[in-house]
Amino acid sequence: MSTWANLGLQDSASPLMEQLIFFHDHALLILVMITVLVGYLMFMLFFNSYVNRFLLHGQLIEMIWTILPAIILLFIAMPSLRLLYLLDEINEPSITLKSIGHQWYWSYEYSDFNNVEFDSYMIPTNELSNDGFRLLDVDNRIVLPMNSQIRILVTAADVIHSWTVPALGVKVDGTPGRLNQTNFFINRPGLFYGQCSEICGANHSFMPIVIESVPVNYFIKWISNSVNS
Amino acid sequence: MSVMRALGLRLHNQFQQVLPQRGAVMAMMRRGTHHDGTRLMSGDREVVGYGVNGNPIYIDCVEFPFPAIRYREVTAELCAVREKELGDWKALSIQDKKLLYRHSFCQTYAEFQHFTPDWKLVIGVGFWSAAIGLLISLSYYFKLYDPVPETYAEDRRQAQLRRIIQLQMNPITGLSSKWCYHTNKWK
Repeated sequence: MSTWANLGLQDSASPLMEQLIFFHDHALLILVMITVLVGYLMFMLFFNSYVNRFLLHGQLIEMIWTILPAIILLFIAMPSLRLLYLLDEINEPSITLKSIGHQWYWSYEYSDFNNVEFDSYMIPTNELSNDGFRLLDVDNRIVLPMNSQIRILVTAADVIHSWTVPALGVKVDGTPGRLNQTNFFINRPGLFYGQCSEICGANHSFMPIVIESVPVNYFIKWISNSVNS
Repeated sequence: MSVMRALGLRLHNQFQQVLPQRGAVMAMMRRGTHHDGTRLMSGDREVVGYGVNGNPIYIDCVEFPFPAIRYREVTAELCAVREKELGDWKALSIQDKKLLYRHSFCQTYAEFQHFTPDWKLVIGVGFWSAAIGLLISLSYYFKLYDPVPETYAEDRRQAQLRRIIQLQMNPITGLSSKWCYHTNKWK
């Protein structure tokens, strides 16, 4: 989750999110270089008192400042397209999770093994424990196995919601009457928080998502217990 | 051919007639048309060059140091000094030189190139705006806003921080990466 004074992206828990962070850093570096160059030019112009009063045209410089940005854009576009296609790769998920957005909570279904279903409500601030995270903690977390490809199908029961977990680089809109599918992969254990990302009414800010990533054997134990109960 | 010569002679005579009958003033060139707004503005002032774009306009400008027209119109006082100018320049007094300059030009380089004090006004307005904005923000904070939620209490924040570290949140470059798990202290 975001910790205090977090300016940048959250640390990744997924290889795809890692690649997104690298691309973000790469593009930002190029932008910073361009900004420094333009800022320097403007600064130096401020202190310049010479004027070329017979200046009419500069064909060479115009060619340079057309071709050079095109090359810079190429350096941005190539990693971007690589990442775009990487995000769409076909892989074989080992488990499917269904997430249904309601006003104002999420409900989850694990249909691979004898229907496990539950609702996930935010814990109100006045019921929070001493170390609870305000507006983030939920009563029932989604437990998922780590180091496994996971397929998620997101939909909604009433209005459009959006299922987001920034640490995994996942944001999928849940539209009523439609199933949106995406895959992700969690490569470390822990808790990963997210919040609904499509305005859905009065309590839109109060329907968070929490994923509890555990080793596979713990997951199997948990899901067996859930089926039995 | 003779018609052309007659025409040329007539034009030349006309030109000679419009030259002022003065002693040693340089030839004044007049534009061909008299229905010219720019010409109205420049009045009777002498045209002495091309200027910025050929129009008889006066402007004080570093990029084009010699305007197309003189700044002032011809006066009797000027004519006297012009006569003196034809002789030895060392005979000209400072007043004469200044008169000649101010007749042709409005301001000196020092006068039209100096910094204005506008920046003081801009800085002043900027500081005043920042101060007033700060006062408004402070008044909102102390008078308008609700108190912060109970999760902002120091003991609860410490408990949350302990939980963040135990959960190893942002362990790569974030908060947990600054905690040494062997010694249970910050790095």
